[in-house]
Amino acid sequence: MSAAPEPGIAPPPPFRNEPPLELRRAPVRAGLAAALEQLDRRLPIEVPLLLGGDRAGADRAELHSTDPGEPDRLVARAPIATVADVRDAVAAAAQAGRTWSRVDAGLCAGILRSAAAWMRQHRLELAALALRECAKPWPEADADVCEAIDFLEYYARGAVALSEPRHLHQVPGERNEMRYVARGVCAVISPWNFPIAIATGMTAAALATGNAVVLKPAEQSPGCAAMIAQALAAGGLPDGVLSVLPGAGEVGAALVRDPGVQTIAFTGSQQVGLDIVAAAAQLAPGQTHIKRVVAELGGKNCVIVAADADLDEAVPAIVASAFVYAGQKCSAAARVLAHEAIADALLARLAGAVSVLAVGQAADLATQVPPLIEAAAQDRLRSSGEQAEREGRVVAVAGPVPDRGWFAAPTLVADLPAGSELLSRELFGPLLTVERVPSVEHACDLIDALPFALTGGLFARDPGTVRYVRDHTPVGNLYVNRTITGAIVGRQPFGGNRLSGNGTKAGGPDYLLQFVEPRVLTENTMRHGLAI
Amino acid sequence: MENGADPADPLEREIARTGRELAAAFPPPLRNPVRSADARAMELAAGDAELKAALFRFVDVAPACRSLDDLARHLTGFLDEVQDAPGPVAAARRIGGSRAGRAALGAAAAGGVRHMAHRFIVGETLEDASGTLKRLWEHGAACTVDLLGEATVTSDEADAYAARCDQTLAGLARIASRWPGRDVLERDSLGPLPRANVSVKVSALTPLLRPDAPERGREDAVRRLRPLLVRAKELGAHVHIDMESLDSREAVLGVVLELLSEPDFRDGPSAGLVVQAYLRDSGQMLEQVLEFARSGARTPPLCVRLVKGAYWDHELVLARQHGWSAPVYEDKAECDRNFEALTRRLLDARPAVRVAVASHNLRSVAHAIAYNRAAGGEDRDLELQVLRGLGDELQEALARHGHRVRTYCPIGNLVAGMAYLVRRLLENTSNDSFLHARASGVALDELLAAP
Ligand SMILES: Cc1cc2nc3c(=O)[nH]c(=O)nc-3n(C[C@H](O)[C@H](O)[C@H](O)COP(=O)(O)OP(=O)(O)OC[C@H]3O[C@@H](n4cnc5c(N)ncnc54)[C@H](O)[C@@H]3O)c2cc1C
Repeated sequence: MSAAPEPGIAPPPPFRNEPPLELRRAPVRAGLAAALEQLDRRLPIEVPLLLGGDRAGADRAELHSTDPGEPDRLVARAPIATVADVRDAVAAAAQAGRTWSRVDAGLCAGILRSAAAWMRQHRLELAALALRECAKPWPEADADVCEAIDFLEYYARGAVALSEPRHLHQVPGERNEMRYVARGVCAVISPWNFPIAIATGMTAAALATGNAVVLKPAEQSPGCAAMIAQALAAGGLPDGVLSVLPGAGEVGAALVRDPGVQTIAFTGSQQVGLDIVAAAAQLAPGQTHIKRVVAELGGKNCVIVAADADLDEAVPAIVASAFVYAGQKCSAAARVLAHEAIADALLARLAGAVSVLAVGQAADLATQVPPLIEAAAQDRLRSSGEQAEREGRVVAVAGPVPDRGWFAAPTLVADLPAGSELLSRELFGPLLTVERVPSVEHACDLIDALPFALTGGLFARDPGTVRYVRDHTPVGNLYVNRTITGAIVGRQPFGGNRLSGNGTKAGGPDYLLQFVEPRVLTENTMRHGLAI
Repeated sequence: MENGADPADPLEREIARTGRELAAAFPPPLRNPVRSADARAMELAAGDAELKAALFRFVDVAPACRSLDDLARHLTGFLDEVQDAPGPVAAARRIGGSRAGRAALGAAAAGGVRHMAHRFIVGETLEDASGTLKRLWEHGAACTVDLLGEATVTSDEADAYAARCDQTLAGLARIASRWPGRDVLERDSLGPLPRANVSVKVSALTPLLRPDAPERGREDAVRRLRPLLVRAKELGAHVHIDMESLDSREAVLGVVLELLSEPDFRDGPSAGLVVQAYLRDSGQMLEQVLEFARSGARTPPLCVRLVKGAYWDHELVLARQHGWSAPVYEDKAECDRNFEALTRRLLDARPAVRVAVASHNLRSVAHAIAYNRAAGGEDRDLELQVLRGLGDELQEALARHGHRVRTYCPIGNLVAGMAYLVRRLLENTSNDSFLHARASGVALDELLAAP
């Protein structure tokens, strides 16, 4: 990208987070049902296979997304990309990328910000779609849209800043300059749990820095991906710079292995993430780059409750962290490590709070715990629940749970033996365990023993305890005296360490560096003994 | 009244006169050395934001500490974060360096917190408090009893709170029946006023309150409040529903209006709700309440307590964090002017409502009294309310001048009372507060000037 300011492009106003809907106001709530009805009338969404500048896919096999709360409701229909489509899309992206990478950073930023504006105009429609396709309740769906807008706005500004040459040491007779340029084709493989935000975020980061993108959205949320593409097109993204390839794991696997891909941005499960890291390390014939992988994987997130914690504050925050969106967030709380001085009181209050959780359809504002994404997830959680009953004590179960839809009852478990794999495996569902610990130090040791290091929580009022836990836990995001989910762009750069991710921090000041390569120019300015 | 109202305006003259008269009736400052130590700590805190934060965090955690050593560690931990600590703070830190020192510091600090708490909390139980309540009554102040508790996060806790309210209603009715007659406190021109008066929080009556889904919490709270109203009606007691943060306002208002519309409650009990003048849309809320009061023809009429609002910082921070426009006035004078406008609106709406003006601001109170008189109202048709510990002096002055004053008396243990205590301390040390202005020696005329 060139840094030369294009005349006529005004610098954007300072970044500010998109305000969520003020749902505590009745008139704001009143608009939601109508937005959902309007969306329902347009279902199913026909998702195009965007290949270079073309809409392909007429003769491909189809993929369907359905409403997890009402599995008979078809939400979107998408052609499944073939291996040939993957190859063609990468080639087209490489071609389009050559021009796109030279577009002025300010101009790219303008396009992303126009896409953000389009999302703002369509925010209820987008939220309604996330609600239907992924069973995100309104507040969560709305937050997903806001985060997507934030990513567009934040990376747009970040890329402009990054396009300025970096300051280097200068001596007479020599001019040094370092610039960042796009790496090339970026494969984005996105999850369904933040169907709009994460796909938009990874895509926007790559685009803002001049890369062309091939997006493979989760097979559960192709409809949301189609709307993201629509937003970017409406924002003025040139044809061909973004391809969208719906499909399941095979499409992603082919994409990752394609020699023409330079960067892979992935958010999803640990297993798939590690497979991608391994595949990216295999040199394919024709490959000219060392592939870089940006991986945001799972977690087994612990919340420490110290003896001096305010339980009035801890209980609601823990319950929200574990059960909002049915625990299907990589940041969600899975284990509570309670100091023995307050463990009994905490467990009793948590049990009471879990048992009154409202399980229901995402469209109902009263719902706190919606259905899981799919039948397989329901089966998985059911067997985890059974395992918990065998190995420990189920302290509370919320109900009733609708019998249609992929619901799982929120469950609170205590007294698991130290070695139980329920304490180390990511469950990605509404099951929370509570352990009694003799000290905060011991709790930190338990956390340090995990291969995951994504989010963590601490409830404590002694500043010394806060410092100790900060210094002794490896998690990427430690939250003190609040929920451990809901990272906000620019405020809580998000992502894990260890096997939870490679620490790239989405929504943070350094994220864009993953999508660029540095180039240094050194010019001898000495001619005939004269330094010019 | 507009900003900078003409001091020659007859109402303004009357407000100034009433205010000066009340100020003259304030009791002389106590010579109690412990109390003045309290006052010094608050003064120190009011002047230094970091120290204030440290002390408040300490007061907040104090009841959760398990030993004097633990207490002292917390105290020094918070004080360590204060830069340029004033002398007494540095001394406390030094003492906290040794085990023996910590025991002494812990004991002193525990004593300090207990002392502060006792200023605002009348007792752990109704029995503990009964002596104070009786003394108040004899000194010309009625009471409303508030039950402090932990946050309600489970149904059991909601049931327990409802049971405590029920016992308190009965207990208070029994205790109060033995108090001597006090006409000012027991009757206005619309009829008798209950002696037993309890203030109830909807957030304590249900674990299900959620700002984006008020209905579920509302139904759950209605289910627990209904029997309390039945009980209050049997006992001839008054139930007042407090207002909390904006997040629960819709549910709280819904609970009250729904229950009071039920046929069983058309002729009692005496009940009331709260309007918070710091909210920009409080005028609309008041209109909604007045419309309800007029249409229902309930007896006795609904009592409306007008306050500025206790969650100002919270509302502002929450709005800033979410990028919402502030629901509260950000200019204190605007808030005060709105309070006066709503005071007049309420007084003019009688007899459809009974009016209680709850403020420690001499100007706001004098305005209510003077406007009531100017509008031809009787003193006994305006109730004035204060918080125990914050409005003690005003309460005495009002009682001396024959006004009906009611003191809000929290009951509960220290752990449960902390949130309340911290809010009161914040109120007392806020730079915008009337009490702070008065304590720092602002001239009476200035204090009584139109906002
Ligand atoms: C009997 C009684 C019952 C009460 N019940 C309730 C209740 O149910 N719900 C509730 O919320 N409160 C309640 N309160 C608390 C009450 O809201 C506070 O005590 C009151 O706000 C303090 O106001 P004041 O008139 O005494 O003092 P003042 O010093 O005149 O006013 C302080 C108040 O002004 C407001 N304020 C402060 N700074 C600013 C600013 N910069 N801009 C705009 N406004 C500002 C705040 O509301 C602050 O509390 C009750 C009080 C009493 C006495």
